[in-house]
Order: sequence, then C-alpha cells, then structure tokens
Amino acid sequence: MAEHVLSQSPSPAQDIDVVRAREMRRHRINVALRYVLLAGVGLLMLYPLIWLIGASFKTNSEIFSNPGFWPENPTLDGYIKGWQTSTPYSFGTFFLNTLWIVIPKVIGTAISCTAVAYGFARFDFPFKKLLFASLIATLLLPNVVTRIPQYLLFRDLGWLDSYLPLWVPSAFAGDAFFVFMLVQFLRAIPRDMEEAARVDGATTWQTLIFIVVPLLMPALISVCLFQFMWTMNDFLGPLIYISSVDKYPVSLALKLSIDTTEAFEWNRVLAMSVLALTPALAVFFLAQKYFIDGISSGGIKG
Amino acid sequence: MSGDNRFLGLFYLSPYIIGLLVFTTLPFVASLYLSFTNYNLMNEPIFTGLANYIKLFTSDRTFRKSLWVTLVYVFTTVPLKLAFALFMAVILNYKLKFINVFRTAYYVPSILGGSIAIAVLWRYIFADVGLVNMGLQLVGLEPVNWFGDPTNALFTITLLRLWQFGSAMVIFLAALQSIDRTLYEAAAIDGAGKWTSFVHITLPLITPVIFFNLIMQMVQAFQEFNGPYIITQGGPLKSTYLLPIYIYDEAFKRFDMGYASAIAWVLFVIIMALTLIAFWSSRHWVYYAGDKRS
Amino acid sequence: MARLQLRNLEKDYGSFRAVHGINLDVEDGEFMVLVGPSGCAKSTTLRMIAGLERVTGGEIRIGGELVNDKTPGDRGISMVFQNYALYPHMKVRKNLSFSMRLKRRPGAEIEKATEHVSGMLEIEPLLDRLPKQLSGGQAQRVAVGRALIKKPQVFLFDEPLSNLDAKLRASMRVRITDLHKRLKAEGQQATVIYVTHDQTEAMTMGDRICVMKDGRIMQVADPVTLYNRPANTFVAGFIGSPEMNFLDAEMEGAGNVRAAGQTIALGEDFAHRLSAGSHGEITLGIRPQHLRIALPETPGTLKGKLNHIEFMGHEVYLYVDIGPKRLIAVVPSASYDRGALRDDWVWLTADPKGVHLFDRQTGENISLAA
Repeated sequence: MAEHVLSQSPSPAQDIDVVRAREMRRHRINVALRYVLLAGVGLLMLYPLIWLIGASFKTNSEIFSNPGFWPENPTLDGYIKGWQTSTPYSFGTFFLNTLWIVIPKVIGTAISCTAVAYGFARFDFPFKKLLFASLIATLLLPNVVTRIPQYLLFRDLGWLDSYLPLWVPSAFAGDAFFVFMLVQFLRAIPRDMEEAARVDGATTWQTLIFIVVPLLMPALISVCLFQFMWTMNDFLGPLIYISSVDKYPVSLALKLSIDTTEAFEWNRVLAMSVLALTPALAVFFLAQKYFIDGISSGGIKG
Repeated sequence: MSGDNRFLGLFYLSPYIIGLLVFTTLPFVASLYLSFTNYNLMNEPIFTGLANYIKLFTSDRTFRKSLWVTLVYVFTTVPLKLAFALFMAVILNYKLKFINVFRTAYYVPSILGGSIAIAVLWRYIFADVGLVNMGLQLVGLEPVNWFGDPTNALFTITLLRLWQFGSAMVIFLAALQSIDRTLYEAAAIDGAGKWTSFVHITLPLITPVIFFNLIMQMVQAFQEFNGPYIITQGGPLKSTYLLPIYIYDEAFKRFDMGYASAIAWVLFVIIMALTLIAFWSSRHWVYYAGDKRS
Repeated sequence: MARLQLRNLEKDYGSFRAVHGINLDVEDGEFMVLVGPSGCAKSTTLRMIAGLERVTGGEIRIGGELVNDKTPGDRGISMVFQNYALYPHMKVRKNLSFSMRLKRRPGAEIEKATEHVSGMLEIEPLLDRLPKQLSGGQAQRVAVGRALIKKPQVFLFDEPLSNLDAKLRASMRVRITDLHKRLKAEGQQATVIYVTHDQTEAMTMGDRICVMKDGRIMQVADPVTLYNRPANTFVAGFIGSPEMNFLDAEMEGAGNVRAAGQTIALGEDFAHRLSAGSHGEITLGIRPQHLRIALPETPGTLKGKLNHIEFMGHEVYLYVDIGPKRLIAVVPSASYDRGALRDDWVWLTADPKGVHLFDRQTGENISLAA
C-alpha cells in the first residue's frame, strides 16, 4: 500500500529540491532587502556626522562648494584658528570649564542616587509609598515649570554665574531617572549576600559600600555614562546661569562662535563642534555595552 | 531587619528628600504663585490674580502661534519617530550579521543630537548654500529655502528630532527580542501568517514599551529647546517658536517672571493632561507581562 | 484517514546530520510515543512533522498527502508545547479560539467549540482568566484544549509534562490517555505523536513506542514487546526500571554461558532461542526482576557479594557485587530469606525466559529466534 501511494507522485525527491531552492532564494532576497534598507538608512543617518568630521579639515570656501566629505586639501586651519576663538580665551578654557561642571555632577549623582536607591530597594519606612510615588512623579514632571523659581532660589543664594546650580541638585539625587534605574536593578539582585554581611556584623552602611556597590557596578557605570553624556550636551542650564564668558562651558562657547559675527568662519566652528562631540563619542564607543544594556533594562521594566 | 532603626531607610533617602523639597516642591509651588503675579526682579512680586492668564488666552497672539507650533511639532514628531523606530527595530530583529553595527550607527545620533554642536551642524546643513541644497542640485533639483520659509523651517527642526530615533529603536529592539519564540511557533500552527502574527502576537506584547516610549517622547518633545533656539532662533515669523523658547524669552530676556510662569503652567497642564489621558487609555490597550505591578 | 508516514526522513544542520533517514508508519488513531535520551533527535523529528523545522531529506505524509512544503497551519496538525506557549495577552477563551478566529469561523460555531473543549478538559471556570493567573496544570490543560479545538488529523506533544511536578504528571498522564480513548470512541481522528524522555510515560501511555538514539530508530514496538523482546542492548537498557543488568560473557557449550569467571546454566531449551551463526563475545542481559536467590552453592548460578539491600515494601532491592560489576536483583519480600546467605555471599539464579544474549559488538539481541 505504501509503495502504491509513493509511486503516484512524480519523483518526490526532485520536487523537494526544486521547492527547497525556491525557499532559499526567497530567504536570500529577504535578507538582501533588509541589508540594503539598513545600510541605506545608516548611511543617511551618519552622513552628516561623517561630513562634519571631513569638513572640519576643509577650508572655508571648500565647505560651501564640495558636498563630498573628503577634503581636497586637508588643513588644520579650522582647528588652530577655532581653538583660539574670537574671545580672549582658548577652547581649552571652555573645555576645562565643562569639566568643572561634569565631574562634580557625575560624582554627586553616583553617590546620592546609589544611597537613595539602596534606601528604596532594601528598606521599609514610613511614607515609603508616598516617596516612591513622588519619584515617579518627578520622572514625568516637565521641569519647565520649576526652572524659573529655581533661578530665583539660586539668585537668592548668590549662586548665579557659578557652576553650583548646575550640579548641586544632582548631588541630592535630583535626577529621578537614575534613581529609578538603580532601584530596578537592585530589585533584581537577591539579598542573600547582604543578609550574610549583616549576620557577619556589618552595618547597613558597610553593607552598602562593600557588598551592594560592587554588585551595582554595571548599572552605576551606565548611570555615570549617561549623566556624563547628558551634561556634556547641556545648554539651557548654562545659558540661564552662566553670564561671564570666562566661565562658559563648551556648549555656550559654541553658541558664542556663531553669534559674534555674521560672516563667521564655518570651518572653525565645525572644527570646534567636532572637538565638542569627541568626548561624548569616545566615551560611548569605549563603554558601548553599558549604554545599550542600561537603556534596555531601564526601559523594559516599565 | 531586627534591630534596625525604623527610620534607617529615611536616612538613606535624606538627600532625595531634601532635594525634593528644596529643588522641586518649593519651586513647583512658587511657580504657581508667580503665575498669578507681576514680577520683574526689581521689586517685590505684585499679585495680579488671573491677569496673566487672561492676557495669554485673549490678547497674546504670540502665545497662540507658539502653542500651535508646539502642538504641531509634538503631534508630528512623536508618532513619526515612534513608528520609524519600531519599523527599524522590526527590520533589525532578524538573524543578520552586523546587527550591532547597525544598532550603534542608529543610536549615535540620539546621544549627540541634543548638543549644540549638532544644532550648529544642522544650521549649516540646511543653509542656502549648505549640504542639503548642494545635494539637491547634484541630482538636478532646485535648492530649497529652508530657513526663510516657515514650513520648511519647522521641517528642519522636525527632521532633527526624527534623526534621533535610535534611542527609542534600541528599546523596541530589546522588547522584540525578548518575546518567547515558541509563541510564534504556536501561532504558526494555529494558522497565522507573518502579518497576522505581528498584529496579534508581537504588537500586543510590546505595548508596555510602546507606552513607555510614547510618554517619554511626548514629554521630551514638549520641552524641546536647543534645536529651535540655535538653528532657527524660533523663526522665521515665529514658525519654530516652541513654547519653551517663549518662556525663556519672557523670563530671561524680558524678565517678566510672572508672565513666563503663567505660560510655563499652561504648558505643564497640557503635558499633564495628555499624560493622564495616555495613562487612562493604557488600561485598554497595554498588556503587562509578569508581575502585576500597575 | 490520519495516518502518518515518515520515509527516509533526514535533518542536516550544515555538515552535522541530526536525523539519519528514519522510516516510521503510524496508524490512524494510534498513540505513538517517541522516546530516547536527550540528543536523540526526537524533538527534531516532531518539529519536522509540525513544519517548524525544514526537512533536508525524505518525506512526511499525513493522511497520504505529502506535507513537506506545507506551512504548519496547513498540515492538519496541532501541537502541545513543553512550556505551554499560551498567548500571554489573551484570556483563556481567546487562546482557545485563536485558530478558529483566524479562519473567520462564525461566532456561534466558535462558542460551541470552545464550550465543548473546555468541558472535556474541565477548564470552564478558567475561561476568563489570563495565562499568568493559571497554575502549571491548568495552563497545560488549556494548551491541550487549544490543540483539540482545531480538530487536527495528528496531535503532536512535545514533552508536555516535563514542567509539572511528579504528582501532577501522574494525573495528567491519565487525563491525556483518557482523552485519547474518548476521542476515538467519538469517532474523531486522534492520531498522536508524543515525545518524552521519560520511559515510564512512554510505557504507560503508548500504543507503540519508538525508541530513538542519536537520530536513529532503535526499535518500534508495543510496550510489552519492547520489554520482553528488546532488539538491542540500548532498548533493553533504556526500557524498564531498574535498568537491565549487563555482563560480559561467552558461550560455553549448549545451554551454558560463562560470565564473571562463573558458568551459568540456562538449560538446553535455551539454544532454540539463539539466532543462527556462531557467536563469539556476547553480553548477557537480565532484568533485576528476573533474578532469584538460589540455595547456597547451587551449581550453575552466579555467586556474588551482597553490598546492601533496600527494603521497598513488597519488594527488596539487592545490590550484589560480582567481581567489579554490580548487579541489582529485585525479589518479592516474602522470598527474601537471610538464611540463603553465607557471610554476605549470595547465589543468584535467573529465569531463562528473562535472559537475553546480545552480540557484544553490534548490541543486537541474538536470543529472539523463538
């Protein structure tokens, strides 16, 4: 009976090969189309950046005549002249100023957010629900509403034209996003090791420093990286609070360079733009893993 | 744990509590108060009741224009950016080589995009003799007046935001990759084709992420400042004069703190209202896996 | 008719051949179990039948039709997954009716089918729950319901009970076999292919069992035959618990076998069971249940040192060392007599009916001729 059934269909082995080949081809076309789309979009996305880097090595006139990104006569003119800026200060000063903001902010964030996240994730205390709700509320709060009174507060404190307003709030766990991220991360870690430490006689503080922080490291690094990137890009904060040019961070200095004269030297501006972007880019590429893991884990839970 | 002070947790929360009171709650309440006053930093604030709000809604044409522009900006960029991010995430969610390269390539613009450097670059790219026009001429098209034309100017700002779709895409991709493969097998056996599986399995299971991205993107879009400020200075003819810029100008150029606070509160109420609507509607279309946290 | 036929079925992953040209016929309404250790490719075979893995060689026919190129939805099969694979965002009711809704069946028909199936599986009270609100057993019943409602020609089960605890597994086993009988009684098509690594499940549920190893079929037979007439050492050792005892041995004259330096008498009749040809090195196989304690010093028996015993209630497990080899003997408690031991030495005899001889090289059973 089986033979009878088999002999009815013509050369089953041949059919299989033909169909299998068709399947393979369809699959290959699918993959090829994806690659084309992905590469096309990728190129379109990155071309402005590629062009930016190339343009920083061009002369001013070439920028406006050549849409290709490779400079015909590469020159460091943009960098050299741009570094000197049209102010009494070099871009070096501005970069240093940025560091004066970024470093205290990152450190302050790391310390305060860790402590606060530890509190939320490991302790029960009165008003816990209320405080956690306030954290979520702050996360969603558009801070446009608090900006003006904050300015008035800092004015009354005499902190205008200084870097304090830019990093002190972060030192008080003001960035709810990072607290939230660390709390989520901590919640996923079992308490066993901390409990063992307590049994061994450690205080909560010692447990925090010696047990929790090392466990928290990957998320902490993500937090520091994100804060670093966001602070490097911060513009509105410095715009409101910093008035002396000698205190300008890079973001304000760049704005200054396109404000001053009408016919400014684009290659200089672009060169300085490249320099302004480099720290953020470098940090990103060196620590890529932490970025993408951080954003995925912080984002999915919720 | 036994023996611990009941308030130990509060000790660790103390920086947050202080910060919350001093840097958030106090300013929040103060700004509401300020919105009912006339305050120009010289003298004490003068209580004027609803005067600011009345002026805003009846005689302030700049406000109306600014509000309109902001709403257009938000309601075009947010859906477009999310749709595009989801689309690219779906394309990437396949057994391809170099996925990480592509993912990084799309993500880089979103980490740089908010910076002044990029805004400066954008200003060049869309200049009359800038890169985009050069490119258009190369393929035989007419150069476009980007910054002189109100619609085009808004388009350049929109494009800047869309360019940064990478961060949303990465979150979508992670969500797509976390869906249990056997669900698709079960669906195939139940007779579902590729598209049906996407609509009935994939989409419902990523609704929490869609929701999260929607809220985040919307709140960010409403507060966009750097781009329009640097690239178009809010013009031409206030066609890119987003509300945050208006608030900034009123507060820090004209020092009319009371009025600026009123505008800020209107913006805040709009954002909150939309957020609440989104939350309320989420009960009907967002499905949460795993734990029953609301 | 819902017959399943596999002809020279092959699966290659690159240069690795996972399934080596297997042939299997499953009759209409038969409950066929695929069993074997992990890595034997039973799940791969099942997935090829389902259409979830592409076939790289050979044919699969369901109801006489070649289905190699059909999508999983078009083959007339349904599948119960190990992790249930219920759609987490749909209530149980929607999970069950998904396949029918895709085919745009009328609402009344869907209603009726849902009711009928949930009645059969006693999941009516769960219809409005989400999968995350179900226990493991309930989720598995819903998964079975989803498979039933499709009225397929062939049901596929991929280790469905592995995620359940022992007690639940036992009750689900009964439920599944009862369901199968009921479907057949109602005249519905109920051919089942059931994959498991648990030989108890296989032996208690299957009409026939297909024992697999490394992508090849070792033997296909009903449970009794598999137990009493294993075709090779692998099947003999895989089926039955505790495992069959194996000893290296040689033939010694007619009806005698020499193992572990001792001669064991099997009786002249035993020679009738041997297949033709001369046999050099052989393996002696005997199930623990077929070993008996003999009187001390009885000739033709196996002498060994009793290592320890386990009292199992109405049976006693004896762990006996014969040279370097450890044998297990399972004897009824009533027959266990300490008097039969001499300083921990015990003499074991075997019921010749339970003795098997295997070719040591090929593992093939050479004592099945009668």
